[in-house]
Amino acid sequence: MTLSRFLLAVLIALLLPGCDERAASPSAQAGAVQQKVLRFTFQAAETGFDPVRVSDYYSGVVIAAIFDPLLTYDYLARPAKIVPNTAVALPEISDGGKTYTLRIKPGIRFSDDAAFKGKPRELTAADYAYAIKRFLDPKNRAQYAFLFEGKIVGLDKLAADAKKSGRFDYDAPVVGLETPDRYTLRIRLNETDFNFSHVLAFPMVSAVAREAVEAYANDTNAHPVGTGPYVLKQYVRSSKMVLEKNPHFREMLWNAEVGDNPENHQIAARMKGKRLPLIERVEISVMDEAQSRWLAFQRRETDIEYQLEELAPKFMNADNTLKPEFTSQGIRMERSVDPEIIYLFFNTQEKIGDAPNPFGGFAPEKIALRRAIAMAYNVEDQIRVIRKGQSVRAHYPIPPGVAGHEPDYRIGIPHDVRLANALLDKFGYQRGADGYRLQPDGKYLILRYFSQPTERDRQFDELMKRSLDKIGLRVQIQKERFAELNKLADQCRLTLRHAAWIADYPDGDNFMQLLYGPNSGQTNSACYRSPEFDKRYEQSRRLPHGVERNQLYREMARQMEADTAWLLTDSRYRNVLVQPYVVGFKKHPVYAHEFLYMDIDRSDARALKDGRP
Amino acid sequence: MNAAAQSPGSPSLWALAWRRLKRDRVGMVSLALVGGYVLVVIAAELGLVAADWAREAGVNYAPPAFAGSTDSGGPQVNADLRTNATVRHEPGIVDPLASVLNELRQNLAAAPPEAPRAATLPLGGDKWGRDVLKKAVKGTETSMVVGLVAALLAVAIATIMGAYAGYYGGRMDDILNWLYSVFTAIPYLLLVLAIAAVLNQKGTLTVILILGLTGWTGIFRLVRAEYIKHRTREYVLAADAVGASHAQRMFVHILPNVSHVVLVQLSLHVVLFIKMEVILSFLGFGVGVDTVSWGSMLNESQAELILGKWWQLAAATAAMAVLVTAFSLFTDALRDALDPRLK
Amino acid sequence: MTAFIIRRLLQFIPTLLGVVLLVFILFNWIGGDPAYLLAGKISNPEQIANIRKQIGVDQPYHIQLWIFITQIATGDFGVSWATNEKVSTIFATRLVPSLTVLLPMLVIGALLAMGLALLVAYRRGSLTDRAIMIGCTVGQSISILVYIIVFQYVFAYQLGWFPVQGWGQDFWINLIKFSALPIIVGVAVSLAPDTRLYRTFFLDEMHQDYVRTARASGLSESRVMGVHVLRNAAIPIVTNVMIQLPALLAGAFLIERFFSIPGIGREVLLAVERSDFPLIKAVTVYVAMATLVINLLTDILYKAIDPRVQLK
Repeated sequence: MTLSRFLLAVLIALLLPGCDERAASPSAQAGAVQQKVLRFTFQAAETGFDPVRVSDYYSGVVIAAIFDPLLTYDYLARPAKIVPNTAVALPEISDGGKTYTLRIKPGIRFSDDAAFKGKPRELTAADYAYAIKRFLDPKNRAQYAFLFEGKIVGLDKLAADAKKSGRFDYDAPVVGLETPDRYTLRIRLNETDFNFSHVLAFPMVSAVAREAVEAYANDTNAHPVGTGPYVLKQYVRSSKMVLEKNPHFREMLWNAEVGDNPENHQIAARMKGKRLPLIERVEISVMDEAQSRWLAFQRRETDIEYQLEELAPKFMNADNTLKPEFTSQGIRMERSVDPEIIYLFFNTQEKIGDAPNPFGGFAPEKIALRRAIAMAYNVEDQIRVIRKGQSVRAHYPIPPGVAGHEPDYRIGIPHDVRLANALLDKFGYQRGADGYRLQPDGKYLILRYFSQPTERDRQFDELMKRSLDKIGLRVQIQKERFAELNKLADQCRLTLRHAAWIADYPDGDNFMQLLYGPNSGQTNSACYRSPEFDKRYEQSRRLPHGVERNQLYREMARQMEADTAWLLTDSRYRNVLVQPYVVGFKKHPVYAHEFLYMDIDRSDARALKDGRP
Repeated sequence: MNAAAQSPGSPSLWALAWRRLKRDRVGMVSLALVGGYVLVVIAAELGLVAADWAREAGVNYAPPAFAGSTDSGGPQVNADLRTNATVRHEPGIVDPLASVLNELRQNLAAAPPEAPRAATLPLGGDKWGRDVLKKAVKGTETSMVVGLVAALLAVAIATIMGAYAGYYGGRMDDILNWLYSVFTAIPYLLLVLAIAAVLNQKGTLTVILILGLTGWTGIFRLVRAEYIKHRTREYVLAADAVGASHAQRMFVHILPNVSHVVLVQLSLHVVLFIKMEVILSFLGFGVGVDTVSWGSMLNESQAELILGKWWQLAAATAAMAVLVTAFSLFTDALRDALDPRLK
Repeated sequence: MTAFIIRRLLQFIPTLLGVVLLVFILFNWIGGDPAYLLAGKISNPEQIANIRKQIGVDQPYHIQLWIFITQIATGDFGVSWATNEKVSTIFATRLVPSLTVLLPMLVIGALLAMGLALLVAYRRGSLTDRAIMIGCTVGQSISILVYIIVFQYVFAYQLGWFPVQGWGQDFWINLIKFSALPIIVGVAVSLAPDTRLYRTFFLDEMHQDYVRTARASGLSESRVMGVHVLRNAAIPIVTNVMIQLPALLAGAFLIERFFSIPGIGREVLLAVERSDFPLIKAVTVYVAMATLVINLLTDILYKAIDPRVQLK
């Protein structure tokens, strides 16, 4: 069509002159004065930046840059290691794991804000006590309230009172949350918990100033005021966030644990002892489509690209290294496994509502049906085709990088379609006239698989149908929106579904609780209730991380396999692409604000050429 | 689509139109093309072609035969997938199926060799190695059926409502017009999402219902206007005189005389709905997982293009472009033939 | 005229009520329970009950409906359930990016289509006419999804003429740098159908008596076409452009999504995913009002341009 080409040329001619005015953009201007700017993208919109009011990953990245928890994780140590942040040292744990005492470094300042009426505002222990109380204030609808519910002496009573009166009394004394002096916080727990430090290192459990929270009342999501390394300079919701260095940030030097990893040594050689943060400005844009993110990175409109799973074949060789056309530009790829598990779960209840569940319960033929499905489901195709090879088979309920992970554990459920068929034949699931199997008593058999109406989930639907067709099981794909799926999960009404769990904090308990009977209808969506499992889980709760707890975890994992409540499928790789001038990046298993520990060096011609730090 | 064959009411109009249509070369070529598509759809419906579209005949992303096989060298899987059949031993943990599985495993015959997969396919393969050509044929069937049935539904709704509103006027007209303004005032996207939520099902029927229930508004206005024009015509008054009921007058006497308007709208909406199905697929309300449509193909190919796998996008776009173009040109010819004044 | 406007304004009320009722029923009863979305990863019945109470969905339906109606009357739709941002702020901030893309798109698209349509209408029946019309039909037959995918791939990625996506703070940068490709896509998509439509408008006018009179009185052909026909055909064209605008506000979601433009359409998709009912209600009501007002304006415009038009 010469005509449309002509018209296009006219249009382009009309519009093109403007396209070269890149110099006018703020980041380019900033570049002229050598400000260190880092640009990257979010794959989905953030929600906001009030630590108690949000729970999504992307909001968490920004929150972690603005606020300070008491403890944090070392930047380089693997598995993740807790280190003090605003606390002087790690907590003193006394009273058999029931009392945690922390001292806060004096002299830390909140960033300037109108709420402080021009006066400097020092961080105190009371700010942390206030922050923790906020999680249980019904008004805040905190999604992470479970971190504290039932945990801290006297706090639940306050929450119960607030529900009655409609107002949470922040001034009432709480036995479990005391500040004996300005800089000391003493937390008393209802029960022994040696792993509570992980909660204190959680970025959402950060100090907030009561004045600021009250000043911005209902729009705290857009007005974060913290003590952290960055402040929110500009915010266009669901589109753009600009962070700038907090001028009053306390002295913090790059001092990560290097260990014997040669890569870490290279990073340390460039970074050690420097005062943080080095990057002065961080520009984050929201880009939903992978194609857009990939193109933007290629054109150097972004400096780091965190997730391009579906496009991996574009930039990776068969051996999972970066293709030469990118390494020659100095681009680097950081490859790590996310601390997550993806699993297929079966509803193990005998009845769902009033209807009998075709594969619920623990009778041998029901377990056999679940086992057959688990053996027929093609995990290899999930990894090879859907993930484009960018995930690793999950064998154990606790993923790599999380305390309690067992690297040598192998799953006991093989992918074996013929054996699955033989198993179903053996237990009397005869094929009907149309080739699909019936229940042993001759009744119609249909399995319902739940997923969301997205293109991505459609691939899983296809795989599920292909897999189950091979063993003659009829499957119905039930499409629901996310909120509805959550509701059904809470009512234990999901029969068969893929689920994912990413570590809130890197401790095995965060994963094993997913199978604990009393958590049915909360996080235990399979509604799996096994006395053997629950007994061991309760024991594990009282133990610190170590050999003894690991043994219990192994037994629990085997028990779950024997009952076939889940089929673990995979954990995704994260292939982070980094432009040559970005220095010191290493993906952290838990937090995603690595830019605090990074630098940008455009001056180094060598770095631009071969990309070595 | 022989318009002359089905000519109730005024045969002269239809015969004339058919004669005019026959003289329109573009129109006749388009008609032949549309006819060809219809034949393909019928063949697919009867299972004569593309019945095995879901078979994984080729390797994943098999390239088209004419482009030749070139391995793109994407990353390989190195996952450790080999495991034992039974749940391994851990003290105190019993696998209730252990003995059964061991026994079955021993009796299992040696695995038959897997059928080899083709390295290339005529128009390439999708991610599971399914033949894109067969998918395009099957997709043609689904999309055309969706477009046609949804258009029939929309036209039926619109004609009945338009007839009542135009013929009776007054209160009836007010109510139906009110419904019309409500439906047109709500943003189309939200209307679609809401109706999809109400239906809460997925599949071809849902797509048809969504399109039909949201797409009647434009036709309603036209039909209503025609009925207002016709209700006072002599032939209607004459029918009244011989005792025809209101329903008879509306649907036996007037309808044939406004059916050329309806017919043109019908074919316009077939095209519109075929295109809308693509958008519905993007929104996640497309056809079910055991069906393939042009919309589902285009949505799959969105991620494929950037990986250099252009063939599914090309196949679906080409199949759709040819039909939609032919159908639109035919619609134009039809309109010209029915209403030569406008040409 | 005044009486006409008043009568039409009064007619808005039942229509809006219908919209309100329909939206309320559709999204409240079957649109999913937002409490389960807001509760997050770990929820318990108590927490769900608390959330339902906080956002007011535990109230009886008639009270919720009444609240909705008072919200419309006061224009205050409260805050988004998902982000706590004021709905009015969301609307105000998302409208500008949407219009930055949509207005130039509509204007450029309409001008180009008018030029093309005038050309082919004048040469009606010629080879040029038929070729362009068939070309338009082919162009129209390709899905907008294909236009977006291919244009973004070719013009932004392979040729590098435009940024792939993005949005900034500066209006001019947004317009010239970031909106250029979305506008081109939009124009490319609308050019074919618009040309076809406008051609019929021109043809309609060319059949009118006044054209024959003008020609007979010896006016030059270019003057007849350029002044008389164009001026009269402008009424339906302007109407057509105006009527498209409110529908496009929510309807440009594909373009906004692929090019990451923080506009209304993208926000609506997000709101539906999050069951963010306050936002859905507000968008529906605002867009419905805009549709009604623009319909009224076009009628008044008809009258202003062409006094022969009777207002009923």
